[in-house]
Amino acid sequence: MKQNRKFTIFKQSILDIFYVWSKEFHTIIKDQGVMIFFILVPLAYPLIYAFIYTNETVHEVPVVVVDESHSARSREFIRMVDATADVHIMSYAADIEEAKEIMKCKKAYGCIYIPSEFNQLIAEGEQVEVSIFSDMSGLLYYKALLSACTDVSLEMNKEIKIQRMGNTTNRQDEVSSHPIEYTYVTLFNPQNGFGSFLIPAVLMLIIQQTLLLGIGLSAGTAREKNSFRELAPINRHYQGTFRIVLGKSLVYLMIYAVMAAYITCIVPRIFSMVQIADIKTLFGFMLPYLTACIFFAMTTSIFIRNRETCMLIFVFTSIPLLFISGISWPGASIPAFWKVFSWIFPSTFGINGFVHINNMGATLDEVIPEYRALWIQTGVYFITTCIVYRYQIWRSNKIK
Amino acid sequence: MWWLIVREMHRMTARPLYFFCMVIAPLFCYIFFTTLMNSGLPTNLPVGVVDMDNTSTTRNIIRNLDAFQQTEITSHYKDITEARKAMQRGEIYAFYYIPEGTTEKTLASRQPRVSFYTNGSYLIAGSLLYKDLRTMSELASGAVEQQVLYAKGATERQAMGYIQPIVIQAHPLNNPWLNYSVYLCNTILPGILMLLIFIVTIYSIGSEVKENTAHVWMRIAHNNLNMALAGKLLPQTVIFFIMATAYNSYLYGFLHFPCNSGILPILTASLLLVIASQSFGIFLYGLFPTLRYALSAASLWGVISFSISGFTFPVMAMHPSLQAISVLFPLRHYFLIYVDQALNGYPLSYSWHSYMALLIFALLPLFIMKRLHNAVLYYRYIP
Repeated sequence: MKQNRKFTIFKQSILDIFYVWSKEFHTIIKDQGVMIFFILVPLAYPLIYAFIYTNETVHEVPVVVVDESHSARSREFIRMVDATADVHIMSYAADIEEAKEIMKCKKAYGCIYIPSEFNQLIAEGEQVEVSIFSDMSGLLYYKALLSACTDVSLEMNKEIKIQRMGNTTNRQDEVSSHPIEYTYVTLFNPQNGFGSFLIPAVLMLIIQQTLLLGIGLSAGTAREKNSFRELAPINRHYQGTFRIVLGKSLVYLMIYAVMAAYITCIVPRIFSMVQIADIKTLFGFMLPYLTACIFFAMTTSIFIRNRETCMLIFVFTSIPLLFISGISWPGASIPAFWKVFSWIFPSTFGINGFVHINNMGATLDEVIPEYRALWIQTGVYFITTCIVYRYQIWRSNKIK
Repeated sequence: MWWLIVREMHRMTARPLYFFCMVIAPLFCYIFFTTLMNSGLPTNLPVGVVDMDNTSTTRNIIRNLDAFQQTEITSHYKDITEARKAMQRGEIYAFYYIPEGTTEKTLASRQPRVSFYTNGSYLIAGSLLYKDLRTMSELASGAVEQQVLYAKGATERQAMGYIQPIVIQAHPLNNPWLNYSVYLCNTILPGILMLLIFIVTIYSIGSEVKENTAHVWMRIAHNNLNMALAGKLLPQTVIFFIMATAYNSYLYGFLHFPCNSGILPILTASLLLVIASQSFGIFLYGLFPTLRYALSAASLWGVISFSISGFTFPVMAMHPSLQAISVLFPLRHYFLIYVDQALNGYPLSYSWHSYMALLIFALLPLFIMKRLHNAVLYYRYIP
């Protein structure tokens, strides 16, 4: 008898969950605003971002040269710099003043200055300095110019050394010019591309932010429409807090399972970005990320009193959240206070975990800290969501 | 007019939302970004070492590497696989690999090969470390040569002239510290403010329609939309300009970021950015007279601004169509003014067209006045 009663309650609660689920599903489908955030934005934003960064790096940064040496060797230097992929010699200037003028007009973003004693000093076996000046409006200009010139100078140094050495064999030349050789490998982002580094983070952030906006919007609407301006409508099916929370979150999870698959699997493929994720690991990781984001969004929706308020509150947070995740600004250099602050947001762990899995081929073992943190967040935010919803129901009952 | 302003003040103080979006959010971002990038250039980034040789020579290389400003040797691994796994866990951003027999081969002139690996997924950390690791590799090679030369009786000057005949002397103009905070905050902070201005402007017009108070608003303005808008938005202009002045004085006065043009040109640009952003907000609402659509469009435009204004990834390197589109973003012009004026201190004549562009943004509402008038008077709120 007792068993039977328990079963009835269980059955009832499952039915309630599905009632809430189908209700919420219908509201979302009918609400164009929510659909934009849940479907259109996750579909379109990744494409826009991938398109912006599709060229990955700067090539052929225009640079002006002041060659006061006018020697065969200085011309060789300039020719070799021009031949690199990063720098394009757009013009020659008679002196630094003229070069400055060209830079002011934004025709060139850097200047190479070869002093008049360039060739002479080298011939005398002295060290000579080649100066490069770079416009600092973009660090990539500086990086391109510096790396091109450094490469060329090392190459020329080697030749000069070999000339002086008077060795007899090629092998001797090699050894004496470079007693210890070195190789350099950029792992996980072979072309050092800007897009390959930034876009995975943006993708993860889009998932969290659209959930915040979508759930906030529907919560705001619910509050506006309900005569008590409260979150959870009073109805027989809306009695158990668990049932409401589970039923609603199930809808979001269902939609986002599809969207996340698109964002994490298809978008990187379209733009042929680095994608070496193990599919099972990726799915295993995305589950706690989605649940953490959903419950986080449901908790914060308490702050949303009107339909449109969510856009005022959440949109600008995308920029700080991207920086605090430790992708662009290295996590090791983030001050302790902000580090702890960043643990509030699922995106911090989601972005790092996804980058590790997708770009660096990590398995779940290697992302255990992030994985665990996301499950903890899921738990914590599930509880806070229940408290928040409970409070809402209590309030609306009291007013009635 | 006066009554409009008073009415708007009441509206703004009645809802904490305005206070949050106009004061709290920008202030939070000012403090957040500047304290986050407090160090200017990341220092002591964790690097791993795989030293299979383990002689005094290789240990010396590692010690020297540790002394570099950006590099901090945090751990030693017994082989490459372990180091790679540590990198996948995100514990290190790079590692240096010295194979067995390096010292011996060096002494026997058999040209050993060391290698280093950086993590390209963390681009900034990766490229900073690349610089250190490469310099170190060059130095290691040079150190061997140096010893040989000293043994032959060369002076230091002679030795350096021999080892490195040509050296590159880099001069990053006006930001010699390569300070990332200077490089990013100068555009991010106005960008955040711009985004919030878009949104607040649209919200404050749209909420009149939503709350069915638009007719009251228009009646006070004697059915004159220009006056209505002016009365509504002027108080906001003042507050936003105060917020803009706040970041200007914080960045250039307190943090002493480069401001080679004097404060006036950049303050003018800030004022123009505030007005341009408000006008752009009005324009968007006129274009999409539904609160939600207008806000969505503003969010899209505002967030894309950060990428397309080109302060992180140069516009020059973008697709030609994007280069053309970039002029439609107010932040792009502000960024150009900032670079020419505050950063480089060029004469005003080099950036007049950017100032003009911001002024053109300020004129945008003129094109949709009629549409907006209809929208305010006759449109019903669509959820």
